[in-house]
Amino acid sequence: MNILKITALVAFATFVSACEDASFSELGPDKTLDRGIDTKHLSQLQAGIWVDPNGCDHWIIDDGVEGYLSARLDKYGKPVCSGVAEPTMTVGDFKGGATSIIGDPI
Amino acid sequence: MANTLFKTMRFVAGAALVATLALSAAAASAQTKSQSGRDKGQYIPTIWIDPDGCEHWVMDDGAEGYMSPHTNRQGIPVCHRGNVCGVMQSDQFFATNSARISQGGAAHLRDFFVKTGAVSYIITGHTDSRASDDYNMALSLRRANAVAQVAQSAGVRIADVRGYGERQPAASNGTASGMAKNRRVEIICIR
Repeated sequence: MNILKITALVAFATFVSACEDASFSELGPDKTLDRGIDTKHLSQLQAGIWVDPNGCDHWIIDDGVEGYLSARLDKYGKPVCSGVAEPTMTVGDFKGGATSIIGDPI
Repeated sequence: MANTLFKTMRFVAGAALVATLALSAAAASAQTKSQSGRDKGQYIPTIWIDPDGCEHWVMDDGAEGYMSPHTNRQGIPVCHRGNVCGVMQSDQFFATNSARISQGGAAHLRDFFVKTGAVSYIITGHTDSRASDDYNMALSLRRANAVAQVAQSAGVRIADVRGYGERQPAASNGTASGMAKNRRVEIICIR
């Protein structure tokens, strides 16, 4: 029984690493695609807001293995500090790209 | 004449040589020890558009993701739409050189803020190019503050209040109608 479990675990781990590992190394210069199990163009990422310790907004995206963070700017190039949440808090459903198999389960 | 031509050609050839050398140096040094080799140090990004309509550079390098705002060289973000949700033409709300909003104007504004229901607002004042830059910076800030006061009385959150004076014209200051357009208070809605 134990051996069966271990075998299953090893097989699962191999499967998981096969899915993502091919893309972990030896990538060409084209970095415009997410090469996980759900290959998609990066323009489709779903963002939420992370409020930095100064109270200013950043777009935050959890796309499974990859995490993205980028400043939210107004049309004059100044940081947007909307007050939508307390500093260090997040708002919105930004983990849409993550799955329970690949990426962190939280 | 021939001498000038020769000099020009020599300059162009020299510039081309310098450019070639710079390029080959960049190509040689771009590949560092920690890189596996296939991308030769070249990272071609794509564009992600945020919910505000502004562009970000984004790259997926296998396990890592990278992102940074797409701005021009002046630091202004490249956006497909602005989030300006209200432009108050100053002529309708303020007397010349004044930052006092009439009761009717204030009631109208309060109504606007209550109905819009954004998370918060950024208020920016602007003037035309008459009078000095200093004076216009101060006047535009006083007007923006007057609008922000009305917003606060309506119970909404203000993210920032700024005066840009004549430095961010919306139209040419060469015509009367252009100047009228430039005399304004912009309200940016953060949703």
